[in-house]
Amino acid sequence: MIKISKFLFLALFVFAACTSDNGGEEPISGSENSFDRKAMLANWADNIIVPSFENFASSTQDLQEKTNSFTINPSEENLVQLRSAYKKAYLDFQTVSMFEIGKAEELNYRNFLNTYPSDVSTMVNEIESGSYNLSLPSTYNEQGFPALDFLINGLADSDQEIVSKYSSEEYKSYLLDVSKRINSLTIEVNASWQGTFRDNFVNNTSSSSTGSVDKFTNDYVLYFEKFLRSGKIGFPAGVFTGEPSPGNVEALYSQDLSRELYIKSVKSVQDFFNGKYYGSNQTGLSYKQYLDYLDSMKDGQILSTLINNQFGTILSQATGLDQSLKSQVQTNNTEMLQAFDELQKEVILLKVDMMQALSISVDYVDSDGD
Amino acid sequence: MKRLALIAFTVGLTLSSCSSDDAQLPIENTVEVPQNYTFERGNATTVNYEGQTTRLQMSAEILSSFTDFENATAESLSNMFSNENAPFSSAALNESSKSVKSKVAASTLYFSTNTVESTEIKADFEAFIEEQMTVVKTNKDLLAEPGVAGQIAAGTGERYVNGKGLELNQAFAKGLIGGLVLDQIINNYLTQAVLDEGDNRINNADEIVEDGANFTTMEHKWDEAYGYLYGDPSIPSANPNSVLGQSQDKLLFDYLGEVDADPDFAGIAASTFDAFKKGRAAIVADNYEIRDEQVAIIRENLSKIIAVRAVNYMQGGKTELAEEKYGSAFHELSEGFGFIYSLRFTNNPATNMPYINKAQVDEFKAQLLAGNGFWDVTPETLDSISEEIASAFGFTVAQAAE
Repeated sequence: MIKISKFLFLALFVFAACTSDNGGEEPISGSENSFDRKAMLANWADNIIVPSFENFASSTQDLQEKTNSFTINPSEENLVQLRSAYKKAYLDFQTVSMFEIGKAEELNYRNFLNTYPSDVSTMVNEIESGSYNLSLPSTYNEQGFPALDFLINGLADSDQEIVSKYSSEEYKSYLLDVSKRINSLTIEVNASWQGTFRDNFVNNTSSSSTGSVDKFTNDYVLYFEKFLRSGKIGFPAGVFTGEPSPGNVEALYSQDLSRELYIKSVKSVQDFFNGKYYGSNQTGLSYKQYLDYLDSMKDGQILSTLINNQFGTILSQATGLDQSLKSQVQTNNTEMLQAFDELQKEVILLKVDMMQALSISVDYVDSDGD
Repeated sequence: MKRLALIAFTVGLTLSSCSSDDAQLPIENTVEVPQNYTFERGNATTVNYEGQTTRLQMSAEILSSFTDFENATAESLSNMFSNENAPFSSAALNESSKSVKSKVAASTLYFSTNTVESTEIKADFEAFIEEQMTVVKTNKDLLAEPGVAGQIAAGTGERYVNGKGLELNQAFAKGLIGGLVLDQIINNYLTQAVLDEGDNRINNADEIVEDGANFTTMEHKWDEAYGYLYGDPSIPSANPNSVLGQSQDKLLFDYLGEVDADPDFAGIAASTFDAFKKGRAAIVADNYEIRDEQVAIIRENLSKIIAVRAVNYMQGGKTELAEEKYGSAFHELSEGFGFIYSLRFTNNPATNMPYINKAQVDEFKAQLLAGNGFWDVTPETLDSISEEIASAFGFTVAQAAE
């Protein structure tokens, strides 16, 4: 405390000493306050977050219904229907996973919906014993989309064999419970946005660490760094250990889905950056506009352009990957490492350059020390 | 409170342009450098680098097992490298979540957006292990000859080499000096990206210590750099140079002692220690300008250790080859090979890049290992490599050779 006041005093002293020279010039840090943060929060909530959750909630509802039909009548035809609902919902999940704030944060929503890889042996034991409690945090890796993936794609080699597993009541109820839980958690999060949380979020315009902009920006960048970069690419590629682990990919048992999920997630993050409305090409206020308003530059170039260019690089690199990232790891992991390196460049642009430009403190640290 | 400090800081920065008017402002944040590397808060030490000591101990056990053909296998060494399947003799090491491999070529500065090369480098170390425990082990009771692995007489004993005359244990050990120790110190912990990450400056100024610890994050990052150089258990933390040249360390500190013993480079150990001490004191005083000046000194000094040893061994090998003492020559060239491998991890503070880049290192390696490798290498090649390294660092081959 003593140190701060010394610092403040010194700063004020310096300030006072030069006011006469500087005339009416505003200090740079003042201009950010006149950007309409409330309008940006409203755009985020009304045009992106709320419609994304509404859409996702309809997908999880459909997923539950298709699961229900399949358990009532386990047929190969119904299995195909269920898979299609699963795929749609898993892709739509990529549009909301970054919004882990408010009710979602309170519920540990993302952990319950998408912790992978699943603990398959424990899951099978629990299914067969009929004894499980999916509300426990210790069961993150026994539910959500990864569990569903195993249950409808990984349980056996052929569709016929998978369907035959569902002659058992235990498998039927577990599958249904997993789908229901995805849906019920989503209903809860969606309802909170439809209710009072939207206004709390939009009105909390403070530029402190508890203000919506600061808090959400940390969540957004953390999502990109930990869940997108590390989760989808880094862990399977063995970036942190030097040992590739193909078993760590998202949607392990769906042969053709992991790259698509990855691309959907990158696009969703980019769209959010640009303030693009959900399901429309219209844009409103978001990070791009905020950075441009502040004339944020890096090495003589416009920062928001650098960030968008890097998203472009990531996406074009991604199109060269195998549609199964598991196969990509197994056949040519170097391309996975290249994907990681491009993602990391974006992490630096977002976490260091953008957050500094917006005067937002990083509230989490990538503490990889000893 | 944080916000207040930040505003003050920003205002200070914003108005720095008018400093010419304020030349007589009092200089803040006087740095008081202690006699030893001893820093306390509330009468308790703030210095901690046990994670580094752990990795140095793991490295030591890998190195001592590298020629233990009776007991070690490619699998057991690889397990030690990754710390998998309880590979070490000490339970404490086995229970640790850390591994050597995860920190090889893993610095923020050089590898955070370059995992492609990082992975290649890790694979090189795995390949040293693999070849040692397959090809060399199989031939351990044969005499080595050009193109054939085996043992070779050196002085009063024998050395084990691959078909090119390279001792893989030396390549591994000396490569680790750059790939683990130097890279972590100068390209990771001492970078602004790590020291100043997140709110580290604000927390350091406010003396907000880490949970359950007595140090600020920035203090700790600095100590972790210190620990890679001085963290062997045989080295006293407060006054490491008291055992210079006499510790059990087999990595960078050992060679700091060797280079310091050369009159042409005498004083480099004291200068390095002083910079560590002063930089740490500067962190306590929130004086980041002085801190970063010390970083530059440490980067230059420690990079130079690698270069001097690389040249020294190239020249030593050349002399032994001329006398047809192949075993001794190959030993020196093998150590030199490892130090050359390590050059890629050096950092020139003037450019913030390696003194010798990856392409040059690859070229040196190719020259040394062409054909039958050390069996074929010419004095001209050894001289040209030596010259190129010495000139990049601004010393002469003669200074390093003696």
